[in-house]
Amino acid sequence: MKTGSAIFATALIAAAIALPAHAQGFKPSKPIEFVTHTGPGGGGDVFARGIAAAMEKEKLMPVRMQVVNKTGGGGLTAMAYLAEKQGETHTIAVFTGIWFTNPIMRKEAKFTMRDMTPLVRLVLEPAMVAVKNDAPYKSLKDFIDAAKQKPGEMKQSGGSLGSRDWVVRQLLMTNTGANWAFISFPGGGERIAALLGGHVNMMVIEPQEAGEHIRAGNLRVIATVADKRLPAFPDVPTIQEAGFKIPNVPQVRGIVAPPGVPAEVVAYWEELFARFIKTASWQKYLDDNMFQDGYMRSAELAKFGDEFSDSTRKILVEGGVKVAR
Amino acid sequence: MEVTGYLMQGFAVALTPSNLMWCFIGCFLGTVIGILPGLGPAATIAMLLPLTFRMDPTSALIMLGGIYYGSKYGGSTTSILLNVPGESASVVTCIDGYAMAKKGRGGPALGIAAIASFIAGTLGVIGLMLVAPPLARFALSFSSPEYFALMSLGLAMVVLLAGESMTKALLAMLVGLWIAGMGTDLFTSTSRFTFGNMEMLDGIDFVVVAIGVFALGEVLGNMEIREGAKMLPVPKGWRNLLPTWQDLKDCRFAFLNGSVVGFIIGVLPGAGSTIASFISYGIEKAVSKHPEKFGTGVPEGVAAPEGANNAETGGALVPMLTLGIPGSGTTAILLAALILWGLKPGPLMIQDNPTLFWGLVASMYIGNVMLLVLNLPLVPLFAQILRLPVYVLYPVIFGISMVGVYGVSSSLFDVWMLGAFGLIGYAMRKLDYPAAPLILGFVLGDSMERALRQSLMMSQGDLSILVSRPISAIMLFLTVLILIAPLFRRANAWRVKAIS
Repeated sequence: MKTGSAIFATALIAAAIALPAHAQGFKPSKPIEFVTHTGPGGGGDVFARGIAAAMEKEKLMPVRMQVVNKTGGGGLTAMAYLAEKQGETHTIAVFTGIWFTNPIMRKEAKFTMRDMTPLVRLVLEPAMVAVKNDAPYKSLKDFIDAAKQKPGEMKQSGGSLGSRDWVVRQLLMTNTGANWAFISFPGGGERIAALLGGHVNMMVIEPQEAGEHIRAGNLRVIATVADKRLPAFPDVPTIQEAGFKIPNVPQVRGIVAPPGVPAEVVAYWEELFARFIKTASWQKYLDDNMFQDGYMRSAELAKFGDEFSDSTRKILVEGGVKVAR
Repeated sequence: MEVTGYLMQGFAVALTPSNLMWCFIGCFLGTVIGILPGLGPAATIAMLLPLTFRMDPTSALIMLGGIYYGSKYGGSTTSILLNVPGESASVVTCIDGYAMAKKGRGGPALGIAAIASFIAGTLGVIGLMLVAPPLARFALSFSSPEYFALMSLGLAMVVLLAGESMTKALLAMLVGLWIAGMGTDLFTSTSRFTFGNMEMLDGIDFVVVAIGVFALGEVLGNMEIREGAKMLPVPKGWRNLLPTWQDLKDCRFAFLNGSVVGFIIGVLPGAGSTIASFISYGIEKAVSKHPEKFGTGVPEGVAAPEGANNAETGGALVPMLTLGIPGSGTTAILLAALILWGLKPGPLMIQDNPTLFWGLVASMYIGNVMLLVLNLPLVPLFAQILRLPVYVLYPVIFGISMVGVYGVSSSLFDVWMLGAFGLIGYAMRKLDYPAAPLILGFVLGDSMERALRQSLMMSQGDLSILVSRPISAIMLFLTVLILIAPLFRRANAWRVKAIS
């Protein structure tokens, strides 16, 4: 592990030294418009504001970043807004998995992620499978067995169809043949309330949301949705370690630019974020939120996006969802 | 008592000069954004968030909290004076508030709203202080079947909002329910009535419907009457601009009703201040000695919903502070702020940071007093708006409405929709359809449908889940009672007629 990150760091330093030659062409000259598709307080909004604040604190940019909320349509409004800004060099946006998933499902979508200019992938957000502390399930296997015994009676609270927690359920059900209900709640708070109140049996929850409830003894984690165990929960196995061979489903966040942005601008952002992710502010942000570093450059991100879209489309179709494209 | 000790400690925190200043800044900003339609507390807090990073978290929370409950004070101003609801919870205030203004009692209506806000705001803080943890546990026992029953109870208020014709009220409500269904189906992510329009994916914004039907409908309707330079009556002199003792006496029960209903509904993460204001208005009308006067400008009709709206703040902070569960957009961003400041909202936060919680509670007592002192002198000033001749006032209402709607979404599509709903509101006035039931159906439709479908998913399609749970059963029983009460009254009236 150590050598891996050392090689990674060396590569980054090499890149940082090599890049300025290409990046010299572009330097922002006015405040950056930083678009997010969630309203104030939403996941993307908090993420964007966190980045803007850390950038300012670390004095990495000559200009300020102004967060702009373009809410609506589960990211589609923000994507359409970016598309309108074709070629604009002072606008960037936070993307999440929904930017890939939603255009697949909605015929109203006029643009997909392939239309945008990928800049960088920044984080992979792990999740945890949580049950109420007084529930009889000590492991994910216990829960799956219970679901097999009473098909359709066990319940999971979650977001909407196509969301990460729904995908995790879909994969687990296909893998094990078990079957349980997925009950959608629009807000994360309502999902936790349903679990704490004993109205549902399980939830795929973000570590940061669950942390305090675990500390207070209200919730128990039976598995994590991550590539490797979370440092804060060393005893909790990942889904794969728990014996279920399903692909990992990360919630991904990163930065895109409008379509048709010149290569020198892409290079500028790649280099800026390569330096940014090494700052103390960013490391603290990752630790506080239990996020995993998922830095990827533009070309890799484009490839990742295509693979992510394809696998999501497959899962959606298998789950009986009509796809638009 | 333990509470007294903690509270004294809280006052020691809240009364430091700098915290007093933050509290005042928050309350002042809250009042201003409350008056401006469109700009709400959630957006304001988000904008100010970067400035709070260097502040002490307790001071920052005191200020942001001040914005949150302060915005509720100002929300009634445009509802009463211009029939423009500044936020969803002020819709009900329009009904009697604007009627009072038209009768030349705009000043007293504003005064009643401020006093109701003060009383309910303070009672809400007392509730937050005394019963927060047990109440939060009670709130968790509420799930989808209970929410469905609560929404049904809210919807039954249509009986009390109906004017002359129950049929017309029910039709308006059904249209409201239909509009609420537009947009995206939460469960299957399929589109409904979007006509392939991306702008329609989130449905129609509440502000668009409420301002269109209420404010624009009213203006369009009045423009037909050639009033020329006629003005709304505003009596001269200080005394006539403030509520009388009689007004306050009439509102005694309304203050209490609004506070209790607002606080309890505020605690439930899935309800919200709009339903609280409708239900408290309904209760007020149901127990009133003169229910027929509601809608013609009675002070109770302002006091109850405004009280509910303000007590809701204290209630909504209960699950947020004791469980880390936000129930509304504003509490969600406050929660995000706590995390950004390095605190850990959740069941242990109050225990780990007593100064933060008790400092906030104490500052809310102080803030409510500040808001009353800040708002009452503004009443005579704002009441002067009504002195404007209609040819100035109506364009101003048009302008404020459009700016308000554009301010929420920055979408021109919404401004066009506002025009469409203005025409709908105009048609409803001409045909004598009441607007409030449409809004009621629209507000509740979405969450009611969701709660019903969630319940049925939980029970695998068995409808008995709605009546086999005690809280839900009681609320559904009350709903049925309210719905059949008018039938009994009519039967009674016939019998009296037959005897005589």
